[in-house]
Amino acid sequence: MEGVIQTIVYGIVVGALYGLIALGLGLLMGIMKFLNIAHGTFIMLGGYVSFWLFTLWGIDPYLSIPLVIVAMFLIGLLLYKLTLSPLLKLPHIGMRISNSLLITFGVIYVLDNAMTLVWKADVRTVIASYRGEALNLFGVRVPYTGLAGLGIAVLAAIALYFILSRTYFGKHVRAATQDAEAASLCGVNVQQTYLISCGIATALAGIAGVVIVSSYSVMPTGGLSWLLMGIVVMVLAGEGNINAILPAGIILGLVESLSVFVVPIQYRQAIALLIFIIVLMFRPQGLFTKRG
Amino acid sequence: MSTITANWKKLLPSGIVVAACIILPMVMEIGTHILSLMVMLFIYIILSQSWSLIGGYTGQINLGLAAFFGCGVLVTHFIWSIGVPIYLAVAIGGISAMFLAAVIGLPTLRLKGVYFAIGTLALAEVCRIVVGNTFTRMVQMPIYYVVNYNLISRYYLGLVVALIAVGVVYLVTNSKLGLAMAAVRDDEEAGQVTGVNTFKYKVLALLISAFLAGLGGGVYAFFQLTFQFVSSVFSPLWTFQPLMAVMIGGVGTLAGPIIGSVFLVILSEVFAITLGEAHLILFGILFILVVLFFPYGLVGSEHKVRQWMARVRRSRLWKAI
Repeated sequence: MEGVIQTIVYGIVVGALYGLIALGLGLLMGIMKFLNIAHGTFIMLGGYVSFWLFTLWGIDPYLSIPLVIVAMFLIGLLLYKLTLSPLLKLPHIGMRISNSLLITFGVIYVLDNAMTLVWKADVRTVIASYRGEALNLFGVRVPYTGLAGLGIAVLAAIALYFILSRTYFGKHVRAATQDAEAASLCGVNVQQTYLISCGIATALAGIAGVVIVSSYSVMPTGGLSWLLMGIVVMVLAGEGNINAILPAGIILGLVESLSVFVVPIQYRQAIALLIFIIVLMFRPQGLFTKRG
Repeated sequence: MSTITANWKKLLPSGIVVAACIILPMVMEIGTHILSLMVMLFIYIILSQSWSLIGGYTGQINLGLAAFFGCGVLVTHFIWSIGVPIYLAVAIGGISAMFLAAVIGLPTLRLKGVYFAIGTLALAEVCRIVVGNTFTRMVQMPIYYVVNYNLISRYYLGLVVALIAVGVVYLVTNSKLGLAMAAVRDDEEAGQVTGVNTFKYKVLALLISAFLAGLGGGVYAFFQLTFQFVSSVFSPLWTFQPLMAVMIGGVGTLAGPIIGSVFLVILSEVFAITLGEAHLILFGILFILVVLFFPYGLVGSEHKVRQWMARVRRSRLWKAI
């Protein structure tokens, strides 16, 4: 029985991380119709920034989050200015999605190899003094790093919700989503709105990177598997349905960790991806949205 | 009659290149380095033609090419190692990749647009994980094959399969099937309305594409006898490199994938020496620039360059010179 509860706790912790990864992806895809498949690579980059801050100056990974956010936000602005903004001229939205997919694939190529040059192809991780220690709740071990990751994911989801629904900026974002032309006629600076959203999305990738480097590890080519899990969560939640992303992530985490009772542990990710394809075939609009 | 002569004139340069590829290794000694490069070039041409068929002509971005390639490599490797002649083994590798496409491709083709891309990427990852967990040890051909290794035979097999790939893509795109594929790419709904069974043609395109990718895998299995990590033949790089070759050469053309592959192989050869690992960064930047500014690739930019040259010639500066 305790084993089951332990697995469930593990699933929630991992699932929250999946949700955190999908937040940035969902912001770009759901709102701006850019599919950024370099998101996983940006996560690795954020992890490396945190790793550097820890090894060079001894800054605790969780305290380095504000610095990582600033750095990744700037990188996001650069990404938008250099590669994504020319796509706005394309005639229809399907072309924008598929061309952004191709371009960010080129970004993966550039970043992967740049990171290999700078940090070598080794696996890097941050081992803080509390790494490996765990809170003991009625015989169930909850690692502190996992708990922190859960807290950060929930905070990030709530913050994004408030930004999108309670601020003028959020209003601009939603207006630009519904009809970019009409919004710009009403005085919304669509380019700037997109620019800042892209910065926020990359900053979210950076936060996920910090969580990953402090409880897992990062390596230059490790972004792809995290990216796939993020896309799975985004599709489960339904495109553009940002508030459902964290619950969808937790559901995926639970399914994935409970699948350990049925199949060997190393096939865990394969199971998650198969579930994803089945969901895509039968409920392409996601689990949390009504049809139409 | 006139069309035949016109075609003849168009075909002449490529005919000369093919003849040179066939004759040169017979009459002169070519270094092993160049020969291995040529074999890799042929594999890239096969893979990029395969990708071009589904991605360029049919407009379905397939990010799971590595699964079909890897399947071809594995099946050919094991069939060949039990003593089946290599030509048969390569063919079986291609057919098995086609079966894999029928099994995993049919569900993913129901996905529209970008979800097809994500679905195929996910399925290729599933294949990579499963294969990586099944074959944990190094896979190697029996020592007899290693001793009798001879690069020239790899070269000719690669050449023949590359010619087959180009020929198949040419025949397919110049048939009714090619017309239907173009209809799917340009406007799937309009195609459906006018009575084109778009799903059927997408499946056919995927099956042929997978068959070619499997043949490419077979050539690679013949070329490379030892696999340290079997999952490496399922690595996404086997999808990304051909995709890059197609995009750089020109989408939706027969010559594009070939020119793109040649371009990539030469570039990587030149820059791998001078820049080392960093040359891959250059590739990425080049790829982004091509997608942003030359959506028709090198082949399609020909008339752009001509226009530009004509403008230069007409300009005063040129006349002054």
